[in-house]
Amino acid sequence: MSISEKQQVVTETGVQLDAVTKAFGAIEIIRGVDIHIEKGEFAVFIGPSGCGKSTLLRMIAGLEDTTSGTIRIGQRDVTEEDPAKRGVAMVFQSYALYPHLTVFENMAFSLRLAREKKDVVQKKVHEAAAILRLTDQLQLKPSQLSGGQRQRVAIGRAIVRAPEVFLFDEPLSNLDAELRVQMRLELARLHKALGATMIYVTHDQVEAMTLADKIFVLQGGHVQQSGNPLDLYENPSNRFVAGFIGSPAMNFFEATVSGHSDAGITVRLTDQNDLELLLDVSARPSVGSGVTVGIRPEHLALTDGPGLRVAVDVAEELGGVSYQHGALEGGGAVVFQQDGIRHGMRGTVQTVTPQPGRIYLFASSGERLR
Amino acid sequence: MSRIRRKQREMRSAIILVAPFMIIFAIFFLYPTIKVVMLSFTNAPLIGDGDWVGFDNYAKLLTDRLFRTSLWNNLYFVVLTVIPTTVIALLIALAVGQLRGRMQALVLTLFFLPYILPVSVVTLIWSWMLDFQFGILQPLIAAVAGRPVAVFRDPNWVMPMIALVTVWWTNGFNVLLFIAGLRNIPQDLYEAAALDGATPWQRFRRITWPLLWPVTTLVLTLQLILQLKLFDQVYLLSAGGPFNQSYVVLLQMYREAFQLNNGGYASAVAMVLFAIIVILSVLQFQLLKIRGRR
Repeated sequence: MSISEKQQVVTETGVQLDAVTKAFGAIEIIRGVDIHIEKGEFAVFIGPSGCGKSTLLRMIAGLEDTTSGTIRIGQRDVTEEDPAKRGVAMVFQSYALYPHLTVFENMAFSLRLAREKKDVVQKKVHEAAAILRLTDQLQLKPSQLSGGQRQRVAIGRAIVRAPEVFLFDEPLSNLDAELRVQMRLELARLHKALGATMIYVTHDQVEAMTLADKIFVLQGGHVQQSGNPLDLYENPSNRFVAGFIGSPAMNFFEATVSGHSDAGITVRLTDQNDLELLLDVSARPSVGSGVTVGIRPEHLALTDGPGLRVAVDVAEELGGVSYQHGALEGGGAVVFQQDGIRHGMRGTVQTVTPQPGRIYLFASSGERLR
Repeated sequence: MSRIRRKQREMRSAIILVAPFMIIFAIFFLYPTIKVVMLSFTNAPLIGDGDWVGFDNYAKLLTDRLFRTSLWNNLYFVVLTVIPTTVIALLIALAVGQLRGRMQALVLTLFFLPYILPVSVVTLIWSWMLDFQFGILQPLIAAVAGRPVAVFRDPNWVMPMIALVTVWWTNGFNVLLFIAGLRNIPQDLYEAAALDGATPWQRFRRITWPLLWPVTTLVLTLQLILQLKLFDQVYLLSAGGPFNQSYVVLLQMYREAFQLNNGGYASAVAMVLFAIIVILSVLQFQLLKIRGRR
């Protein structure tokens, strides 16, 4: 989709959450979340387990009550609406297929409840089955299907309802790695074909990065940051997001501000005191204050000059790239990436230096300093 | 070690493990059962041998009016208990399923409590509650019937009342089976159904009921077998009276064997009941299974 096309689509609201909270008794799970998802957008909620991402999705579905705040789908306030009347369909992690019904009956379930005419039911189910390549399986029970097929039935059940919004709750986590990649592509195609708003919950950042138009990173019941995938990668707004997006995770080093200049500030790493790094930031934390320096593994390169001296103890060779794991003299763990196969680094001390402009600085509170 | 030797060793340990049960089963179940089958073809008294009389005992049963009454009462009792207790247990299980945590455990315990009581205690409790003069339930009966009724001495009341006591006594176990069945239905099926637009009734009708059907089949079959074996409650509450209106097959077997010393004839009665139970329960189980597969 080109940029101009996209801008035409984004005029309408898909899903909007305003100051939404959720408490179970005294425990607050969702603590004031504002989310805006355009119509037709593929949004991904990502975060560590327990961050509230699934709860938030279930609140949009209407399976959990909302303690305060409002949820809008399209133009409608659906905060108090029944799940069935919200115009959403959900694909569950467990698929939640009705085990006693055939694939056809599973997909026809909602249509039959809505007392659709028989030929309409037939037509809609067969259309969905054709999209999902399930036509030959329509008379089978879920127990006779493979994991990937069950997953597709669950999606088919959502498609026949032609909802405004599709909700996916970690839909691929029960599949093996190969199937997961395949289904990921199918979901991307499906989104393109249907053009519906989709909200997808996952803890797998590869899924998030590859599928999303917009990612919402959640932690502790808050949206830490939202934006398109590369934006989050390039411009994390705090240490949590910086560490969560990107694989392997960003390296963090404790450091002390050692000086100010027109070009920026200089910091010394706690674990390697002889190295002074110059950071091009406009923030001016006071000299002597503690900060955190973040550098991604792919932004560290071998150097003959001064740099971080890493005692490599484990090498992960992936063929195309290798990840060298080690530690600084002071003990801080470091990972750096090398292109191609690099034997012989294990047990040696390598000096690496960050690419200029690729060093992130965080205050001790975790906020990004720019 | 060769494969054959390993097989032999496995076989030996299997035999050692199974033997204690097999021995006890053979002595206390298999041997008496075979003996009863053989006895039923003789005119033997309770103790001692008798002469071979072929099918005489069975032929006599065909014309035995008490046996016909007893059989009829047995079937009447099955009608009064099996389906009602299943329906009641299902309703209680559904209601208990709505409760959470400790409250659920407490209520479940309360419903299960009667089941652990011995039958003599159960019948004592109910004969007091239904006592003609002092029973606390008599005002209720008076309200329904217009007058107090000595229920265990009234030909119309006796079987329904024994059925009521039996349902009260044994229902907890069925509730437990249904609760277990309900817990096996994943919660997200109901959530999916809610999103699909199913009303609470439709959720029950289209998810709970079909997925609970195997448990329902089990409960119905167990109940059928159990209720056909009715003896203790009748023996303790009405002794088969009044006018044999609560006489059942096992009571007649007891009478023939232990009161009239007709071991052979009593064995024939037992064999017929055994055959009826096997035929009915297999038939019912198969029928219910077919319905479930549909």
